[in-house]
Amino acid sequence: MAAASTSGSGRDIGGSGGGSAAGEMEVEAYRRLFPLPFYERHLLDSVRPDARPLHRARDTSVVLGPVASADGSALVKIGDTTMLAAIKLEVMTPSADAPDEGSLAIEFHMPPICSPIVRPGRPAEVAPVISKQLSDVIVSSQMINLKELSLISGKAAWMAYLDIYCLNADGSLFDAALLSAIAAFSHLQIPLVSLSDDGKVVAVSGDLLEDESTPELVNKERKLLLHSIPFSLTCILHKKYILADPTAEEESIMETSITVVLDSSEQLVSIYKPGGPVLAQTSTVKDCIVLTKHRMKELQNILEESLSAMEVV
Amino acid sequence: MEYLDSLTGFRLDGRRPNDMRQIRGEIGVVAKADGSALFEMGNTKVIAAVYGPREVQNKSQQINNQALVRCEYSMANFSTGDRARRPKGDRRSTEISLVIRQTMEACILTHLMPRSQIDIFVQVLQADGGTRSACINAATLALADAGVPMCDIVTSCSAGYLSSTPLLDLNYIEDSAGGPDVTVGILAKMDKVTLLQMAAKLPIDIFENVMQLAIEGCKAIAQYIRGVLLENTKQLECCRGV
Repeated sequence: MAAASTSGSGRDIGGSGGGSAAGEMEVEAYRRLFPLPFYERHLLDSVRPDARPLHRARDTSVVLGPVASADGSALVKIGDTTMLAAIKLEVMTPSADAPDEGSLAIEFHMPPICSPIVRPGRPAEVAPVISKQLSDVIVSSQMINLKELSLISGKAAWMAYLDIYCLNADGSLFDAALLSAIAAFSHLQIPLVSLSDDGKVVAVSGDLLEDESTPELVNKERKLLLHSIPFSLTCILHKKYILADPTAEEESIMETSITVVLDSSEQLVSIYKPGGPVLAQTSTVKDCIVLTKHRMKELQNILEESLSAMEVV
Repeated sequence: MEYLDSLTGFRLDGRRPNDMRQIRGEIGVVAKADGSALFEMGNTKVIAAVYGPREVQNKSQQINNQALVRCEYSMANFSTGDRARRPKGDRRSTEISLVIRQTMEACILTHLMPRSQIDIFVQVLQADGGTRSACINAATLALADAGVPMCDIVTSCSAGYLSSTPLLDLNYIEDSAGGPDVTVGILAKMDKVTLLQMAAKLPIDIFENVMQLAIEGCKAIAQYIRGVLLENTKQLECCRGV
């Protein structure tokens, strides 16, 4: 039983494959030396070493507004994986071929604090990959209508810089990063601006609004309207098992992962399976999509709770 | 600009000249790191993570009779008022990395861990003046959390001199006023100064007052850090059932 195998030391775990030479051995040592048989022993009982059933994701929490100096920010934790996203808006001149559209710049950083394998001076291998995935998903899901970021057609528009920092890397980095990006966008408060006398766009502080001589406000909307919000779930495939929301240990042992992104109207936004030793059949992909649907409902609830919690305050 | 209101004696943020900003320290924020801490001084928020002692990654830098201490300081793009794209190796970051490394090296007992490497990574999430001090305080907490042997705890605080008054713990507005800014780092119990930096002109006797004020601030922070570490140890004892 799974419970017995994780309890004390000196258990006789003569598992499949490399374990047969072990005989009497400490559980922790077995886990380090023969990780794959250790996991397979748990998978036989449809459970994982942290007592999660195969299809359950880890505890997720979203906190809005941790960075006071940013226009929108969010801190997301999925299990131990922690992501901090912050958005800063700056006024810029829109390009000639899109005069009434703002623009979006998305960057994903993995500073060396997040994981022992990231070395300073050399960026983590997965960081640019996740950065590109995030950009692609956010743009292709059309969550944000760039026309809403426009101020004065042809002259001024918002440039939204989204920076996501991974503070703790423990698997499912893309899921946490996407969730933090969405949470930061839902928290975003666009500052009020008006046109100054010399034609420049300047920020207007809240108290000036009560003043008699109110400057002409260029924008009235404070919040961005998010259309179809994308949610994702990463799963690991191993033999005939599908493990949802892997930890870093699981990702390193069983290398085949598949990420499915659905939007709030249950349409497929993206499927990403970057190779790997396990070949997925159509039925497996369909199962992953179903799992993502369930996860999406969970995430929608969590996001709504944190938004309403913020409004109360 | 009036940094000190002449009638009430309050500073721009309502503090008295000898008041430090509210500090808060938390241990164990990065689960994967050997030791980690979050330290806040007012609006300045800093995360430090310590990895080590572990095997030296670049064998050519290995020292045979002591540990190699490395430090990297970086600021998040959204940490200051305007979002500035910060290249990793820019001069300010490199200088502060060096300062933090040498300050921590003074207290880590490196001879106990030869041929190993201790990495200290500091990430500024929000900057409102005093980032250098907040980083050193966070690094001390993180090193203690990692169980790295140290001879004493290092704490740091800054002080300045504006409107003819020594002010403790400058925030960003006071810091950018162009007046002198003295940053001090001390070994708390041994009462020794490891870090002392000052930019701008200041008469010597006033400098002594300002430095003394900064040292008082450091001692107060040391008191707080000791409290945080004691609390943490009590919780660990509870968990282990002692």
